[in-house]
Amino acid sequence: MSKHFLRKAAFIVGVFFALAFSLVPFLLFVSSAFKTQSQITAIPPQWWPSFSLEFFRSALKNYGIMHYLLNSIIVAGSTTLVTISLGAFSGYALARLTRKWAHLILMGILACAMFPQIAIAAPIWRFLQLMGWLNTYQGLVLPYVALTLPLAIWILTVFFREIPRELESASLVDGCSRFGAFIRVVLPLSTPGLFTASILCFIYAWNEFFLALLVMTDPARQTMPVGIALFQGEYTVPWGAIAAASFITTAPLVIMVLLFQRRIVTGLSAGAIKG
Amino acid sequence: MKTFSEKWIFLIAVCLLGFGSPYSFAKEPTTLVFLTWKPNQPEVWHRLVKEFERLNPEVRIKFQVGPHSSTQYHAIVSQRLKNKDTNLDVFFMDVIWPPEFANAGWCKDLTPLFPVQDQEKFLHGPIAANTYKDKIYGVPCFLGAGVFYFRKDLLQKYHFKPPRTWQEMLDQGKMIVEGEKDRTLHIYSGQFKQYEGLVCDMLEFIWSNGGSVIDQKTNLPTLDRPDVIHAISFVRDQIIGKAAPEGVINYEEPESLDLFIQGKAIFHRNWPYAWSIANNPRKSKIAGNVAVGKLPAFAGHDSASVLGGWQFGINRLSRHPREAWRFVQYMSSYQAQKILALEAGLAPTRRSVYYDSDVENRMPHLKAFLPAFKRARPRPLSPVYPMISQELQRFFSQAIVNKDSDIPRLAKNASARIEKLLKLGAMVK
Amino acid sequence: MNPRDQRLYLAFLSPVILVLLIFIVAPIVSSLFASLHRIVIGLPQLGDHFVGLENYKELFRDSVARHSFWITVIFVAVTTFFELLIGLFMALLINHRFPGRGMLRACVLIPWAIPTVVSAQMWRFLFNDAYGMINYAVFGADTARYIPWLAIPGTALSAIIMADIWKTSSFAALLILAGLQVIPEELYRAAKVDGAGLWRRFRHITWPLIRPALLISLLFRTIDAFRVFDLAFVMTQGGPADATNVLQLYGYKKMFVEGWMGYGSAISVCIFLIVLILSIIYVRSVGRRLLEASV
Repeated sequence: MSKHFLRKAAFIVGVFFALAFSLVPFLLFVSSAFKTQSQITAIPPQWWPSFSLEFFRSALKNYGIMHYLLNSIIVAGSTTLVTISLGAFSGYALARLTRKWAHLILMGILACAMFPQIAIAAPIWRFLQLMGWLNTYQGLVLPYVALTLPLAIWILTVFFREIPRELESASLVDGCSRFGAFIRVVLPLSTPGLFTASILCFIYAWNEFFLALLVMTDPARQTMPVGIALFQGEYTVPWGAIAAASFITTAPLVIMVLLFQRRIVTGLSAGAIKG
Repeated sequence: MKTFSEKWIFLIAVCLLGFGSPYSFAKEPTTLVFLTWKPNQPEVWHRLVKEFERLNPEVRIKFQVGPHSSTQYHAIVSQRLKNKDTNLDVFFMDVIWPPEFANAGWCKDLTPLFPVQDQEKFLHGPIAANTYKDKIYGVPCFLGAGVFYFRKDLLQKYHFKPPRTWQEMLDQGKMIVEGEKDRTLHIYSGQFKQYEGLVCDMLEFIWSNGGSVIDQKTNLPTLDRPDVIHAISFVRDQIIGKAAPEGVINYEEPESLDLFIQGKAIFHRNWPYAWSIANNPRKSKIAGNVAVGKLPAFAGHDSASVLGGWQFGINRLSRHPREAWRFVQYMSSYQAQKILALEAGLAPTRRSVYYDSDVENRMPHLKAFLPAFKRARPRPLSPVYPMISQELQRFFSQAIVNKDSDIPRLAKNASARIEKLLKLGAMVK
Repeated sequence: MNPRDQRLYLAFLSPVILVLLIFIVAPIVSSLFASLHRIVIGLPQLGDHFVGLENYKELFRDSVARHSFWITVIFVAVTTFFELLIGLFMALLINHRFPGRGMLRACVLIPWAIPTVVSAQMWRFLFNDAYGMINYAVFGADTARYIPWLAIPGTALSAIIMADIWKTSSFAALLILAGLQVIPEELYRAAKVDGAGLWRRFRHITWPLIRPALLISLLFRTIDAFRVFDLAFVMTQGGPADATNVLQLYGYKKMFVEGWMGYGSAISVCIFLIVLILSIIYVRSVGRRLLEASV
């Protein structure tokens, strides 16, 4: 019995550590959003915030968080929609093409994903400037689509491969076109994969910083990561405002993750690895 | 690409014909794009801009905001100008950029618009910084120079006069710390992170020992001279981790100022903007107990401070140069500089503003800074300064971070690299 | 496959190929092209001369670049090792069936969902030398003994390594968990019936079967870790004394701060080549078969 008890105790300790490891640093930081300025820089540090909302107020009023949030939603949302649409179509094509071709194209796509973002930022910027797309939503969304497509395509291709061809053949026999079969049979069955790819895509576009900094210099169009990076002025580092903004920018992602965590894991497990 | 722009031209033509009327186009306001960094008091700037728009109803100003860090702002501005972006009209230039921008043909030559008699209304240092090959490329907006802040209450308590030499500062500091019996009180606070500010702080130490980093006449680096090595060794051995906390190696202006206004440092080096913050009772624990003076020097030498500040530049390819110039003229006018001084604490570059009665009354420290401003020295003026600065930052950081760094050897390595850069810069002279 | 289907598949693929060509392939080619020229954006009078492999030769002679390379290698090695270790630990935990498993899974995913710039600011705050929580945790209220973590070369690099481990262990856990969930329950049950203990079950069932998952995590993590930028950019800007001057940050400084477009591009091409070579090595060692099977 004691061995069983030890095992249980070790397990609980393990869970505790995993939780502490994941949550404590973030909670410590974000709690600053609820403190007063003197509490933040107090030495020694004060753990418990006084639940003052002054930084949220300041973040909203002086730092204009709401429109950064709006821009992030628009950019990340559009990127996800476009990437998933393109990814779904191409993933299906790759799943149904001959192995050799598909493998070649997939490897090419993976190679695309390996290049450092710094180097492609400058040429992308020049292209956007040529098209007059700087400081526009499409100027950021299109590069993001290109950057998220590789992972999305990989996940979706694997998912579509899972779907037995017999189901499609059945609908084809029933008089459906191949395209129709795709829309009506394959897509609905691959919602977990679509889900996973969407979330990965959204999180990437939401968090991307470097390209956003270069492309959006108009405050009206800047996204959250850029906004937060620009909080720093010449004064003392505005930790309270940064913490408040971090809280606001992370909350939607955390909520999404909490709601969809099972789907994310299922999606990745079915898609990424096959025993 | 050709078919693309043809399609666009066709579309635009259709729109113009279909929806535009010549009358409405005559009333179309000119929009100027003003790319700035994130200001500390955006309301003041917005008020000035609104006032300009009121006085010039046919011009609209579009604000675009880049990062506050000078280096990052430079990256964005230079990229746009290099790529011949015509959607940028007015921008800021740090005091060290005009040679680079002028040489690259990014900023407009303002010599015909900004004659010498107008230039003379400004302080000499900033004007010199904006001049390249006898032409002027920018209009100074506000000025910066390294200023020495100290706790006048502590100095008075121990009957000290402001220190004239660095050693005096250390001695005074030691006695004060012992007397106050406060283990968390430090003597000095400055900026020693590996960034441009490090170059400023270190140059002030080096210059105050009679040294220099580049001989402008021979165009060769002079890093391995004994007076330079001595100054750097002093910083490494007496300042970092001794007079100042070790953490200053990671401090920029905000963190170093924070140490001072929390009452944890007796002496502090910073730009003029710090005065208002240090005396603001809502932000500073030492409000009312701060005084300013000349930076100390090494025995037998004069105090030195680095020239800083920002200037207005106009894009050489701007589509509205006339309106852009009007805007720059307005923003650098007496009135505008007075408002920026009174409400944003930014030191003016027009000499007369310092003698304005309002400014004298409400911001008396600005007049006290004036001698330091007049003496402020610019950093090496060269189109390759950004690269030289990177090498200097690396050299200084390596020298002061390791207690047993071989400074002469590091100086030799840095000199070799800087010499190559100077040769490159000389190719375009 | 009939030609009509083939045309359909091509139609499906073409928008993607177009987007990737414009936004990834063309920039890569442009970068490669630039790396063969000497381009100094602040000195346009010098022109954009073709210099062949001169930039690359200069790169090998550049002591700062060599230093950056080693810093990056250390970063990649340490972070990947710990992330896989911690990821494995967390994946094993989550794989167990217990009440509240969903909550644990969600909490573990949170670090990964946080924007890197936010996470970098957070760690800057925690490592602060005056009021940082980490100093408080180690030294308590004795502020005179606080360590300026980001000001000492050794600890600065450790700080960004720690920040990356925190953020990415959960992603590694996800990938490994995916591998774990594929292992059939019957194997464990059969082993238990045979009297195998926890460790033996792990060694003989779990370990061999999750090796593909581990290797894929290793591959993705290495590719990403070599391109680290945001953390160093926000937390330390490469200092102190270049201690955290990772390759991509050095490339950024050369390209965007100093204006050496050609040289900076050469650095990026090198990063790309390193990552490519490593990927090829991984794929070969895992066996093409395994990767193909999952594709």
